[in-house]
Amino acid sequence: MLYSAYGREGTYKYLNHFSYAFSLSKGRGEGFFLTTITTVYHNNRRIITYAIYAIGLIALLLLIVPLLGSQRPYRLVQSTVTGVLVGGVYALIALGIVVINKASGVFNFAQGWMMLLGGLVFYTFFSSASSISPLAALVLSILTGLMVITTNSWRALRNPRSLAIAAGIAAFGFIALMIGGDSLKLLRAIIGAVYGAVLTGLTIERFAIRPLIGQPLFAMVLMTLAISELLHGITQMIWGSVEIPLQVFTGLSQLGIPMPFRIQATETLGGTIIIRTELLLAFLLSLLAFAAFVGFFRYTSVGLAMRATAENQKLAQSVGLRVRTILAVAWAIAALLAAVAGVLQGGASSLSLNMPLLALSAFPAVLLGGLESIPGALLGGLIIGLVQEFANLLFPGTQAGTELAPYLVLMVVLVIRPDGLFGQRRIERI
Amino acid sequence: MKKWLLGTLAAAALVSSAPILAQDDTTLPDFIQHTACEVDLTGSEIPIQHFGDISGSYAFITQPLLAGLTDAAAYYNARGGVCGATLVQENRDTGGDLGQTQAAYDYFSGLENEPDLLVLYASGDAELLRDQLAEDEIPALLSAGSVSGLYGEDGQSPGWIYASNPLYADQFGSFCRYIGANAEQFPEPVVGYISWPGAFGESAFTAEVMSYCAEQGVTILETPEYFPPSATDITTNVQNLVDAGANILYTNSLASGPFLVAKTMVDLGLEDSVQLAGVNWALDTSVGLLSRTALGSDGLPAVNGIIGSLPFHWWSETSLPGIALISEQAAANERPLSAKNIAYLLGWALVDTYIELYARAVNEVGSLDAVDGAVMKDVIEAMDYSPLGLYHFNYDGGALRALPDNRIAVMMFANADMSGVATSGEDAMAVPLADGTTAYVPVLVPLSEFEPAPDLRPGGADVPAS
Amino acid sequence: MSSNIRPSGVFDTSYAQDIALNRTRADKWLSNGLFLLLLLLPLLSSDGPLGLNIVPTLWIGTLNRIAIFVIAVQGLNVLTGYCGQISLGHAAFMAVGAYTGAILGRQLGMTFWLALPIAALVTGLVGLIFGLPSLRVKGFYLAMATLAAQFIIPWLLRYPLEPLTNGSRPLDVPVPTLFGISFAADGAMFYIIIPAAVFLSLAARNMLRSRVGRALISVRDNDIAAEQMGINVFNYKLLAFFVAAMFAGIAGCLAAYNTNSVSLDTFLLDQSIAMLAMLVIGGAGYPLGPMFGVTLVLLLQQIIIPSLIPPLNNVLPGLLPFINSVNIYAALSPLIFGAALAIFLVFNPRGLAHRWEIIKIAWKLRPFSH
Repeated sequence: MLYSAYGREGTYKYLNHFSYAFSLSKGRGEGFFLTTITTVYHNNRRIITYAIYAIGLIALLLLIVPLLGSQRPYRLVQSTVTGVLVGGVYALIALGIVVINKASGVFNFAQGWMMLLGGLVFYTFFSSASSISPLAALVLSILTGLMVITTNSWRALRNPRSLAIAAGIAAFGFIALMIGGDSLKLLRAIIGAVYGAVLTGLTIERFAIRPLIGQPLFAMVLMTLAISELLHGITQMIWGSVEIPLQVFTGLSQLGIPMPFRIQATETLGGTIIIRTELLLAFLLSLLAFAAFVGFFRYTSVGLAMRATAENQKLAQSVGLRVRTILAVAWAIAALLAAVAGVLQGGASSLSLNMPLLALSAFPAVLLGGLESIPGALLGGLIIGLVQEFANLLFPGTQAGTELAPYLVLMVVLVIRPDGLFGQRRIERI
Repeated sequence: MKKWLLGTLAAAALVSSAPILAQDDTTLPDFIQHTACEVDLTGSEIPIQHFGDISGSYAFITQPLLAGLTDAAAYYNARGGVCGATLVQENRDTGGDLGQTQAAYDYFSGLENEPDLLVLYASGDAELLRDQLAEDEIPALLSAGSVSGLYGEDGQSPGWIYASNPLYADQFGSFCRYIGANAEQFPEPVVGYISWPGAFGESAFTAEVMSYCAEQGVTILETPEYFPPSATDITTNVQNLVDAGANILYTNSLASGPFLVAKTMVDLGLEDSVQLAGVNWALDTSVGLLSRTALGSDGLPAVNGIIGSLPFHWWSETSLPGIALISEQAAANERPLSAKNIAYLLGWALVDTYIELYARAVNEVGSLDAVDGAVMKDVIEAMDYSPLGLYHFNYDGGALRALPDNRIAVMMFANADMSGVATSGEDAMAVPLADGTTAYVPVLVPLSEFEPAPDLRPGGADVPAS
Repeated sequence: MSSNIRPSGVFDTSYAQDIALNRTRADKWLSNGLFLLLLLLPLLSSDGPLGLNIVPTLWIGTLNRIAIFVIAVQGLNVLTGYCGQISLGHAAFMAVGAYTGAILGRQLGMTFWLALPIAALVTGLVGLIFGLPSLRVKGFYLAMATLAAQFIIPWLLRYPLEPLTNGSRPLDVPVPTLFGISFAADGAMFYIIIPAAVFLSLAARNMLRSRVGRALISVRDNDIAAEQMGINVFNYKLLAFFVAAMFAGIAGCLAAYNTNSVSLDTFLLDQSIAMLAMLVIGGAGYPLGPMFGVTLVLLLQQIIIPSLIPPLNNVLPGLLPFINSVNIYAALSPLIFGAALAIFLVFNPRGLAHRWEIIKIAWKLRPFSH
């Protein structure tokens, strides 16, 4: 009935009333309900805000302090240690996301899958020399060489000098990947992982991100999600769905390094503290990566160019910066960071299709620190790690740590500091 | 607590002489006795319609299932199939997404020739499709056992889904019964439940199990711990339970789940004071293989000594002709060690069950076209059969929806000459894998005989009256 | 916009004509006819009372799912397409609607016809809460704040509300009835879901044409400018969240009553992402966008990819002999979906509805190109 009367004005009016009903407003005036609340809020903005913060803080302290007090000291120390170490892995993932965002303003949802892919490429060349397929090594080396020289433009393929460089890269890669011997397998795996990461980063940037420059942001976001699906398919096709424990850390125990470190503190703290060696290594590596990136963005010309590009792509191009190259480099670096995180996580647990889910814990870390901030990524990672561990410790059996706490903290921080802890506050123009 | 095992099991013989199977390429060995066909079905096709998570997070266990189905279907087809009919596979991948499960179900149930029987895999899928299967009168075979999927919310409304393993809650109960009966090995048992979140991981932690276990003298801690499959470190979760007094950790997870718990226990130095236990999926090759990176103080993988349910016969029981046949076929099809798990065995058993079910159904109604879901349901409920000797297919005339027989077993690792279980890393059998690493060979040693697991669904026969 | 280009000779002579949905006789016949044809479909299927077997029953179930997602994505379109606020928590809002509807129907024995609007309202209020950060945060920060909803809401439903929701176990949902008719089969639910989808799509479209819609668009295009022009930006952002959540709540409630079972595993992050994908592929900000996007994505996922896999699975192992064939089978579904998404985005970043408008204009202007 309703439908058949569409052409007429009456139905339209009816539907229009319906849509007005959504707006909680009467007639043409502003909504009576929400407006009152927002006006009161606007008039006493500062007082209300601080009052809410104070109440929140007091409530939190009242909740947490007794729980903390009831814990045995060694558990608190253990949770702090674990939180910081796990936070190191989150920080590495977050760092990769920040690097891409810093250069191109895209939030990379595919970081988790890039991590798994990096870990699996590493695993492939970490295996015994006889099991490495020469075909795979050759294809990887040649493709990497070609992608590197054509970063700026496909015309490089007509330039003999660039082709020579490509051949050099390919030859070096192929020889390095095919050298035999189990003693060199770590070196082989690292070279393989670097080639794989560079190839992944450049390919994604070239075929998925570059065509979308200038298109709506949503399309770009969705593209990174499409890349996730593609990487899922590719990893599954090549490596299957078995869970692979990556034995990178077994060498450490042969060197006599204890796995894990145990600190006997039964007298002072009431228990033993363990520090898992592989996570400690992950943590140290993320510190190293952090230091390197701070230096990179501050002191190198590429890093400075990247910051300029992030600020304004058109302006950067007009002063002669190669924006395309810079974007490509950012993606390659992010893929490298992902590979490092993948190898460390693969060593600490295993390489499996569940690994990309880990990135979901790193997303709040990125936002907590601020989308453009490298120190923010590190700090965000550590905070999320600590929050998770302490939530698991203080609220056992509620799963509060893994699902709830990171996002709750994120919500609170975003309301207080909308650009994250270290994010850039921009003055917007109309 | 692990040490008691060594005394009792060091002598356990692993490899008995395998029976020589009378083999040629056209007939089945004698031990496979299917119902004789009264109708010749030569030229027709019988589809094995299966859908489940083939590309998602359970894929590492569904892929061997597919491999098993493929190998078994090829084997039987070459030897006469079902009364001459050929078995063909029709798979749909849901990627672990319930929306896709629904779509896959709509596809199968909407086919011109409505399926007589479906094969499902996950607890979540079963729970979603329970009512629809009953409405459309399509029975389904399942390899999972959550109460609500099989018996409905109240535990008393049997549906059209038939599970090949005991309910997860019942498995937990039969574990408690074993612990309670072996008080000298497990004095004052306190069980902490640690698992994955979700339908599968949480399905064994029920009020009925807690009261049953209390009756058996086993305490279960009130607060369970859940960790996601992607977790890096679960030290805090394990410590929470141990601090609360747990000396046994029970996990209803698979693959990396039990492995991560075992590894954390070794890291915390709890190997000897806390016993690890789990659901039937925790006692699987995948867990043993994963654990090759995390060795305990004895040099064996951290999961060495995990106990749990083993409702099927296992690869190491080679004296059974069915196991011998499957081992031989897995080798002939060049399946890797990682595929030699429980799912591959179940794939074979499923194909064998299909043949028997169809042979009986066709005998009953006279032609393949006359077989429908209702006929198949009656056949399933009336059948008493042992597919390849792997388990006992008997749903007690329709009273049950999950096969009840269960036993408790321990996972150990084979010693160097495969004559028994290894006591330390030095005398363990190390198998080189394709990637250059070595793995230890997991062996499941039964600790008890098959007996029905307690019935612990809501209102079940073995739930203590409160 | 194509709506401004009309066949020659069609003029608006009154306000009513100017705002009418169907401006020409042909439009009217076409849209009414299509709607009636749609309503006829279940009668022609083998489930229908006529016993005909013209339409496969698979279509009916698929159309129901498409319509449910059209409702949810229409809501997302109001929020993301019109108001410019990205949301990654839409599936969680669906969960709120589904559980509210289910609990009202089960525990309180409330009829479906009352449970549905209440579920919508409750979800709308939950949406308001998660819309609050939009006062201060924008862009990806807001995306993450809504992602928080995707984790916090299921957590609340799973743990603190477990006595009501059964936690991780599924919840049975009663069958809706009206005057003794029970809406159990897909064919019967069709008559609830399809009219709801059509009605809500029109409501969303009308909202876009009203003052509210223009205000939302001004917020999307430049919120600071909008504020300068006297639009209460916060108000409108909250309104968008409220409406979006309400649509999601209706969709969730319908989904629960459609399958007669609710489970938290249905409303995961993947679902939120999929809905965003549907919106962008269909065309964010176009009233027709959700219909195109949902139809395309669901057909791709549930009909096209499964039918592509068997032939590809027969061909590919021969072409790629060095890859295990079991791996190929499992990899095909994510691979094809990812590739299809990527190709669509590269060639159609503004969505199918945008392309549709272009085609329509080209058709109306033929034989001239401009």
